[in-house]
Amino acid sequence: MQPSNRRLSAGAATAAALVSAALLLTGCASDGQSAAKQTSSGASHVKIMLTNDGSDDACALDHTSAPAGPITFTVDNKSATGISEVELQSDQRILGEKENLAPGLKPVSFTLTLDGGKYTVYCPGGKNENIAFTVTGKATAPKTGSVQTLLKQGSKEYAGYVDDQIAGMVTGVAALKTAVDSGDIDAAKKAYGQARPFYERIESDVEGFVIPGTKANDNAGNLDYLIDMRASNLDDSVGWHGFHAIERDLWQGGAITAGTKSLATELQKNVNTLASLAKKLNYKPEDLANGAAGLLEEVQSEKIKGEEEAFSHIDLVDFAANVEGSQQAFEYLKPGLKKIDASLTKQINTQFDKVNAMLDTYRDPAAIGGYETYTPALKARDANKLSQAVQALQDPLSRLAEKVATAQ
Amino acid sequence: MTDARQPADDPDSPRAGEHVSRRGLFAMGAGGLVVGALAGVGGTMAAHALEPDDNGEAVDASVSYPFYGTGHQSGVQTEPQRHCVYMTFDVDPGTTTSDLQTLFARWSAGIAQLMAGRPVGVVQPSRASAVAQDTGEAADLEPNALTVTLGLGPALFDDRFGLAAKKPKLLAELPALPSDNLEESLTGGDLSLQACAEDPQVAYHAIRDLARIGRGTVSTRWTVMGFGRASAGAGQSTPRNLMGFKDGTRNIRSDEEFEKFVWLGDDEEWMSGGTYQVARKIQMDIEIWDADRIGDQQDVFGRTKSVGAPLTGTAEFDTPKFTEVRHGEHVIPQNAHIALAAHENNGGIKILRRSYNYTDGINQYGQLDAGLLFITYQNDPDHFARLQKKLGSYDRLNEYISHIGSAVFAIPPAPEPGHYLAEKLFS
Ligand code: HEM
Repeated sequence: MQPSNRRLSAGAATAAALVSAALLLTGCASDGQSAAKQTSSGASHVKIMLTNDGSDDACALDHTSAPAGPITFTVDNKSATGISEVELQSDQRILGEKENLAPGLKPVSFTLTLDGGKYTVYCPGGKNENIAFTVTGKATAPKTGSVQTLLKQGSKEYAGYVDDQIAGMVTGVAALKTAVDSGDIDAAKKAYGQARPFYERIESDVEGFVIPGTKANDNAGNLDYLIDMRASNLDDSVGWHGFHAIERDLWQGGAITAGTKSLATELQKNVNTLASLAKKLNYKPEDLANGAAGLLEEVQSEKIKGEEEAFSHIDLVDFAANVEGSQQAFEYLKPGLKKIDASLTKQINTQFDKVNAMLDTYRDPAAIGGYETYTPALKARDANKLSQAVQALQDPLSRLAEKVATAQ
Repeated sequence: MTDARQPADDPDSPRAGEHVSRRGLFAMGAGGLVVGALAGVGGTMAAHALEPDDNGEAVDASVSYPFYGTGHQSGVQTEPQRHCVYMTFDVDPGTTTSDLQTLFARWSAGIAQLMAGRPVGVVQPSRASAVAQDTGEAADLEPNALTVTLGLGPALFDDRFGLAAKKPKLLAELPALPSDNLEESLTGGDLSLQACAEDPQVAYHAIRDLARIGRGTVSTRWTVMGFGRASAGAGQSTPRNLMGFKDGTRNIRSDEEFEKFVWLGDDEEWMSGGTYQVARKIQMDIEIWDADRIGDQQDVFGRTKSVGAPLTGTAEFDTPKFTEVRHGEHVIPQNAHIALAAHENNGGIKILRRSYNYTDGINQYGQLDAGLLFITYQNDPDHFARLQKKLGSYDRLNEYISHIGSAVFAIPPAPEPGHYLAEKLFS
């Protein structure tokens, strides 16, 4: 048996889809069923049926055209095990979609107000992945608020959030320097814990900067390296600088030396340089989406493993900051996102709530940074739980960028 | 099920028409593939290369089993494939009953795809910013006789999902059993998936992609990667477990035995055609066992090592005579593994053993960390418990093994086309 899992190339798939769409059209035209009729509620109804013919999954429409205006698409997966989502697209942009489709579940629908033009029903995994759908005439109802406008507006507001964090970081690092200079180790530890979250909230936006005049691939000029490098990834030719070198002195060394003081002075200088470079930047909606996902990757790859704060073990402080930064980016996209995919938006919301509720259980006002110390014992006990909660958020969040990039 | 090759309407019959009996193909001559003999076995060779597996038997990667409409789920009566990945899951806090329905429906569709050798979704999406639905590592591999079996744990029927009234009659956590040495991190689970295939990557891919589909609804709990089947189906020669003994000689084989000891009857409502699964992770003290003299090893099991004959016989399938006494002593010691486990000495009880060898590498003492992923199917989990109560107390094997993982699950029947596993649970 030759399993039919070889995907058609994109070109072949389109060609095949065109043929079957044409067949479908003629088939329907002959019995006069081609265009969906508007119902009393004003919406036209189109059924999208997913079936398996014994060897292949296929996607079929009961009507391949409808008059302009509100159109309700109802998706019913009868037996197509390889198709789990369906989208309505125009010019590669997703206008509406349904996911989690599987045989045995009740049919689901979505309604869109469409203007005259050519559209495509996209059934990834189906024998005919793309089916042409035509809307005739002009919609009388105004089009729903422009998703693009909402997303752009959100991105603009998000830039303000980033600027606030940068300002907080500058103040926090100045306080850290003052405490280090005073020689008071407890005050310095506390200031360290207060300064850290600002950088972690916006890490994915600020990690790409170099000191003006230096090369992109030279760590000596790489601000992320100079500010946030951990012991595990040191570049010997450049040495150790920044937050974590100070962390080592405070916790492992247990003393503030002349070296600690010069590290703090240098950190302040680099943070100020970063602030001048990263302020007043413009972000595209997909930058926010990618950044939100990037921050969660940081959580998974560093914080949960306890690698970020190897001496102070305040990993949960950074963890919470990464999550907050990620959620902020998401919140600014949300007004537009809701219009693109309300269920995904809700799903991400729910998972953020779960992660936050879980983080709340680790709050400890007495601890540095406000969260329990992530000791090896705590890590052994809870790392798995933390990781799975973040993973459950990461999966839906990783689909944001595509949604946002293809939004109308 | 007395013959390896079943008619097409048999639930466990391979779909591929050109499937060839594996029994003895390569054992018959000096590795000679005798065409006449092949035809005699009843298969057309077609273009499939049959490769001898570790038992000197042929494996046909193109074999696939149907998922829908088979009555029983596959992976139980199916003749054991060579590899198996077993994983249990917990349902995440906050999950709703309808989330659970979606999960079962998506898992069912996914399993149907995987068993047919197809990906669970698009491997390489056309848009660069899209995330692939299938992870892709099995994209060029054939179905490899993959079966995926879903199990529902006792805790699923607590008050979380309103399913308490539907709880299968005999589903309950196993009682504490003698010699239990269970580790919390290797026990229980709301759900289980058993993925067995002739190719380990096919089995692993199935579990990986199903776990991925489940994310946000379920979290992984514990897993064992089984290699090398340690039980025999109807048409198979008996393989060996890591203690070097043939395992599965007196296993359940015939359809009649399956009806009597494994499958639930028609009076079980939504569980009719289902069964119960018990999974135990049993660690072996490999080094200590290897240092034991052969006479003692044979007394531990009550069988010879090479042939696998009962100590009262000469051939593997000779019926053991548990009462035979020589020089005033039982020839098969009364505390030998088979003497304690045999149906003759347990009121006729039989269970289906469908085990796999496993290894976890090297333990903290530098010893080989390996054992048996012991999976059984029976129409009453207490049948397992009754045997283990006895074995855990008296079995000579206890000196060399330790039960470290455990779980019990109800195995619902297979869905009809257009439906999903355990769908009736929600109606
Ligand atoms: C690492 C653990 C175990 C090993 C290595 C092992 C090995 C064996 C071997 C070599 C045989 C003889 C061949 C055969 O008839 O299949 C056997 C038989 C059997 N074992 Fe086990 N076994 C293990 C655990 C268990 C457990 C936990 C149970 C049940 C609670 C069990 C139940 C049986 C039964 C029912 C038989 C058939 C006895 C007969 O009818 O002669 N075994 N086992």
